[in-house]
Amino acid sequence: MFAGMPATLCRLRDAVARIEGHETNLIAARMLSLGVRPIDNVLQGGLTPASLHEVAPAGPRDIGAAIGFIVALASLAGRQTLWIQTDFAAREAGTIYGAGCDPFGLPARELLIFKVARPLDVLWAMEEALKCRALSSVVAELPDDASIADLNATRRLTLAARAGGGFSFLLRHRSSLLTSSAETRWHVAAAASRPDRFGGLGRTAFVLSLTKNRRGPIGQWTIIWNHHERVFSAFSLGVAQAAFDRPDRTPLACVG
Amino acid sequence: MWLRRLSTDRIERRLPASDETPRIIVRPVKSALRICAFNDAAAALGLKLGMPLADALAMYPSIAVHEADHQADSALLEAVADWCDHYTPLVGLDRPDGLILDISGCAHLFGGETVLARDIVVRLARQGLQAQVAIAGTVGCAWAMARYGTASLVPENALGEVLLPLPLTALRLDDETVAALAQAGLRQIADVVNRPRAPLAARFGEGFLRRLDQALGRENESIRPRLPLPSYMAERRFTDPIALESDVLGALGQLARELGHVLERRGEGARLLQAVLFRADGKVYRLEARTGQPLRDPERIQRLFIERLAVIGDECDPGFGYDVIRLSALVSEPFEPTQSGLVGPDTQAELAHLVDRLSARFGSRRLTRLVPQDTHIPDYAVAAIPAQAARQDAAVAPVEQESRALARPLRLFERPEPIEVVAEVPDGPPIRFRWRHVLHDVAVAEGPERIAMEWWHDDQGHALTRDYFRVESKEGARMWLYREGLFERETVKPRWFLHGLFA
Repeated sequence: MFAGMPATLCRLRDAVARIEGHETNLIAARMLSLGVRPIDNVLQGGLTPASLHEVAPAGPRDIGAAIGFIVALASLAGRQTLWIQTDFAAREAGTIYGAGCDPFGLPARELLIFKVARPLDVLWAMEEALKCRALSSVVAELPDDASIADLNATRRLTLAARAGGGFSFLLRHRSSLLTSSAETRWHVAAAASRPDRFGGLGRTAFVLSLTKNRRGPIGQWTIIWNHHERVFSAFSLGVAQAAFDRPDRTPLACVG
Repeated sequence: MWLRRLSTDRIERRLPASDETPRIIVRPVKSALRICAFNDAAAALGLKLGMPLADALAMYPSIAVHEADHQADSALLEAVADWCDHYTPLVGLDRPDGLILDISGCAHLFGGETVLARDIVVRLARQGLQAQVAIAGTVGCAWAMARYGTASLVPENALGEVLLPLPLTALRLDDETVAALAQAGLRQIADVVNRPRAPLAARFGEGFLRRLDQALGRENESIRPRLPLPSYMAERRFTDPIALESDVLGALGQLARELGHVLERRGEGARLLQAVLFRADGKVYRLEARTGQPLRDPERIQRLFIERLAVIGDECDPGFGYDVIRLSALVSEPFEPTQSGLVGPDTQAELAHLVDRLSARFGSRRLTRLVPQDTHIPDYAVAAIPAQAARQDAAVAPVEQESRALARPLRLFERPEPIEVVAEVPDGPPIRFRWRHVLHDVAVAEGPERIAMEWWHDDQGHALTRDYFRVESKEGARMWLYREGLFERETVKPRWFLHGLFA
């Protein structure tokens, strides 16, 4: 049984580690909790390792938000991350910028970036990388709706993820209607952030829609990512403030 | 080793074997075409080197004439040198048509020196090349014997006697020295061997004496090998050439185990591995694989070559099969692995191996790590260094942050995308902009952050200052825009670009 074998191994390893007094930092026992209670409840604790999670932007202008969501999750997963993208995806939406992802929460020295020419190479590289236990998360970015990542391909990736034990994320640039064997499927949209005291840009905010969840119901939430402390929190409008109403012509607030 | 008829053999090996036409190669010498090489049939007709083409054609109108092609000859010589690599790695080129092999220590692998010499001649004959081989204790003696002598094997202490009857041209002298010696009445090596040296040096130069000493073994001469010598090497010969890729990989696996043992004994690991496949008909393929960390695990070495063969396997046509396969470590480093306990797998080594495999398959420049650079220009502030070469302890310097939001975008476009912007002049923030045919209304804009280009690098003065703005549109999408060029100070119509995306 596929899931059984690494689980037995992990149990034995844990037992030996406990006897020897080492701290066990094996990922396979850990779920990635987002820190926001409603989401964690729906996910039965958090994102499961050793399985595939799909992320897509809700609309074409939300690609930045989708990428930010994955970077935040990768930073929570800890240790090394491998980001695989095609050359075309790099032309469409750029490449991870070291000076930007460091303050966002993911240190650049824990990141490996792999650019390939064809989407098929992305899937091959992801399968090989998932089997490596040193990577805590592997992200594959495919342009367009990536019809190449269909049910068979995602099933292979899931099997590879089970062998490795890390987190795996498949980022499509456009949401796709294809069935896939991913554990969860997210649509991420950018949310208008709450401005800070001086009227400048506030914390990064996303609208997460969980559209497929094998372990529970689906839902939609708005959350903020606090990059200083590296935690998600629910988006609240503040106690004293009423519903935030933005007039059509907002006077510009320029800081700087 | 002297390839007697290199130029004509190059042409003739492509023709059917029964072709007996006399063939000459001509080369323009001082505006007249003269013969520079000919095959045996032409030699039998009495043609000599240097004869003008017109005379030759007048005598024998039916001979085949070809133009000299030194590059092709040279390429063929190098191909033969590559093939001789499987006898010994010390192969030197002796242009235009000779090779020097240092077989000290290798001869016993082939059953002795005479067997080796015969093997070379026979195999080269199968490839269509005539060769004369002589084995001697010094380079000069071997050279002379191959071209002018009769024996193919010169015993250790018979160097002097064997050389005596040979003419002085056998000493690799230039034509003027030979002519001068002939004028003095010295034609054979026997004439000069026992003469006092000082007058000879005075009259014919030091070079002459050096060649004599080199031939007689009084002075050391070493060959310059064509290819770098590997530090460690393991090879396997097949009496029945193998052609299947799975067999080749199996052989590489066994060689990797042998190599791993040797490396382990010396406490080293390989950084650059090379697999050489010698085809039975003379072609040689070399595959290289680089590693980020010193490696000696046989399975991992084999997997690296699985990836390499997957990439370039189509170009390696086995033909009739490979008869020698060699695995060598060209570059090695000291390597002491840490003892890994029972607790967890050696994740660092696994990651290094994954990096090596992906680099072997796709090229090392595609897998990169981000390393900060000492420049404030955002395009170059972070460089992508191949992961195999990057050092793990480089840290990114944090950028100063004034607000709750981030100062630098999460994603950067390699080429900033031009956008149309409505903004106040001269330096107001953007109000509305159109990117990729979609209109965005700006809700909040932070900036400007003025980044001036590095004027000290720019000669023509084209570098325009950039004012960066962090904008959030009404829907919440955050982007990094800049205006290029200060209004009326640097340019009349500043252009706007989108450089990056925030989360």
